[in-house]
Amino acid sequence: MNGTQFRLAWAMILPSLALAIWIIGYPIYDVVMAATHEVNRFGKLRDFVGVANFETLIADPIFWGSLRRTFVWTGGVVGGTLLLSLPIAIMLNDDFHGRGILRVIIMLPWAVSLTMTSIVWRWTLNGQYGMLNEVLKDLGLIGQSIEWLATATLAFPIEILIGILVSIPFTTTVFLGGLSSLPGDIYEAARIDGAGPWQRFINLTLPLMRPFINIALVLNIIHVFNSFPIIWVLTQGDPANSTDILVTYLYKLAFRYGRIGDASAMSLVMFAVLLVFTIIYARMAMRESKEAAAQ
Amino acid sequence: MPRKAALLCSCATMGAIALGAVALAGSAQAQTEIRVIASHYSDQTATIFEGMAADFEAAHPDIDIVIEDVPWGSLQQRLVTDVAGGTAPDISIIGTRWLVDFVENDVVASMDDYITPEFKDRFIEVFMDPSTIDGEVYGLPVAASARAMYYNEDLLEQAGIAEPPATWDELKAAAEKIDALGDDYYGFGLQGAGETEADAYWYYSLWTHGGEIFTEDGESGIASPEAVAATQTYKDLIDSGLTQPGVTSADREDIEALFKQGRVGMILSGPWMRGQLAEEAPDLNYGIAGIPEGTQKATYGVTDSIVIFADSEVKDEAWMFLEEAAFSDKWRTEFTLKEGFLPVFKSVAADPHFADDPQLKAFTDLLPYAQFAPLVPNWQEMADTTKSALQTIYLGEGEVEPTLAAAADKINGILK
Repeated sequence: MNGTQFRLAWAMILPSLALAIWIIGYPIYDVVMAATHEVNRFGKLRDFVGVANFETLIADPIFWGSLRRTFVWTGGVVGGTLLLSLPIAIMLNDDFHGRGILRVIIMLPWAVSLTMTSIVWRWTLNGQYGMLNEVLKDLGLIGQSIEWLATATLAFPIEILIGILVSIPFTTTVFLGGLSSLPGDIYEAARIDGAGPWQRFINLTLPLMRPFINIALVLNIIHVFNSFPIIWVLTQGDPANSTDILVTYLYKLAFRYGRIGDASAMSLVMFAVLLVFTIIYARMAMRESKEAAAQ
Repeated sequence: MPRKAALLCSCATMGAIALGAVALAGSAQAQTEIRVIASHYSDQTATIFEGMAADFEAAHPDIDIVIEDVPWGSLQQRLVTDVAGGTAPDISIIGTRWLVDFVENDVVASMDDYITPEFKDRFIEVFMDPSTIDGEVYGLPVAASARAMYYNEDLLEQAGIAEPPATWDELKAAAEKIDALGDDYYGFGLQGAGETEADAYWYYSLWTHGGEIFTEDGESGIASPEAVAATQTYKDLIDSGLTQPGVTSADREDIEALFKQGRVGMILSGPWMRGQLAEEAPDLNYGIAGIPEGTQKATYGVTDSIVIFADSEVKDEAWMFLEEAAFSDKWRTEFTLKEGFLPVFKSVAADPHFADDPQLKAFTDLLPYAQFAPLVPNWQEMADTTKSALQTIYLGEGEVEPTLAAAADKINGILK
């Protein structure tokens, strides 16, 4: 690349680079300022306080509880989603009658807003007049109504299950894309060599699908980590903060309690965690494109 | 270079859009615009405020009133972000419990320069107090309510109870009889969750047991012996199976729904329930009585306030709108009647609609005993701390005294 070309290349990406720095950089700057200052509830900066807001956060048991639950939540939703989406994608990849309709049905939760889905689930799970209790009673599975959302022992796993349900469409789409790119001839060869379906899955599908699984894993982690509507609509972190994750507690800190400084410090912690995953994702994506270029 | 030209072009387009925006703003400024945010009480709220605006605009053709109707759940967040972004409205309804935070940060304007003694005299005094801070009026009570006990007359009759319970002991005895009617019936509806007033449901018990949210020396009173007794009363009802199951997931709408379905004997609620019952459960026979007593009478008085923002450039006109339209007898009667609140104007209270209503008497009789949410900064966080402690106790995951004591400590920490 000679000098003129180099300058031209820079000149061409400069506008978008400047825009990106402005859009991404300014909010980060703003949050850092708020996190290191005393801030009133309307966002006005007062004195510089250094790391005092972080210290408040570290001393707050609800923060640690929420952090722990955020990892359980993210791990549960992402793990469950990947485990379910791969077999679903493999099934949908086979050619069978009604595949089109089934694909649409699997994708449907994606089309409905997350908040709407959560509200419908909240009604369904209502202990007094919810549909779930009625169905279970009609089937004779339970004798008495169950209060699904009154204790964290029941409510939190249920929230994770709903999280899995709404994450499946995206993940299945990624996997379907991956599956359709797998070469058919190696399966043929494996079949001739006497490999059964399970062996073909373990030795061919899984390794070939790895890059897609990795991408789905990281993207899901980033989405789910900050997912707000399900928990907010179903339990709002109740009872006694036992279903709060970082993002729901963050909302309470910032908008209900007016502790903008502490909330900013907390969002920086969340930003740091997510940055790790984003870097992993960026590196994976780069390696992919390098490998693709090498082929 | 064509690319540079394209870039210049797009800059020029953006400039033109910006100019257009300025031009638009300019044309609107020919008229004085007053932006009003009304909180969504019901589907009628917007219509009522549009009506006020139409009346006012007819009298002042040079003023344009813009009404926006915002749901309660997002109102606080909306106002905070608007103020932070420098785009606060001129007038808004707020929960009076937020007022101290707004006043402390100089967000709302004092009304003392505008308010005349005659105007002030039109309000029922007790409702004016919560929005008066250090002797200055910062908000006008726009919606007022008190709480009382709704009881299902049919269920009480079936259970052989002649009179609605007047004390917590009587309530427990009544709840036992109602509960015995069948699996689907519960004696007492107890709210333990939700964004609105999960803590307030406990204050009814606290106050009637003689407790206070803050003691006289300004410390949290939620771990006092009276508070412990108040909590034991509820805990006892829960543990005896006399409330609906799942107290810690039941918000206000949940227990009100149970009452409308005729499945719960008694709940504590506000005057708005009457309108809802007439609409949604017209066949339900119910009565309204005072909140059961422990050692004394009490009710929770709640007002919402209408405020003028400090940054408003049209405060004079905003006040005119409040005085001439929003707080005219006509619109006060209309609003109070349609939204189902208690009158805040003496003249409205004297209106036959209200004066001759025996059910409303249950609420107004309690007004001399009304307690209001304390005017302290960071109230919401304290209320949530209380709610959290109560949920722990209701679930049986913590003993009454130590759990309340820990919450009181935390609240004292927030106070400092």
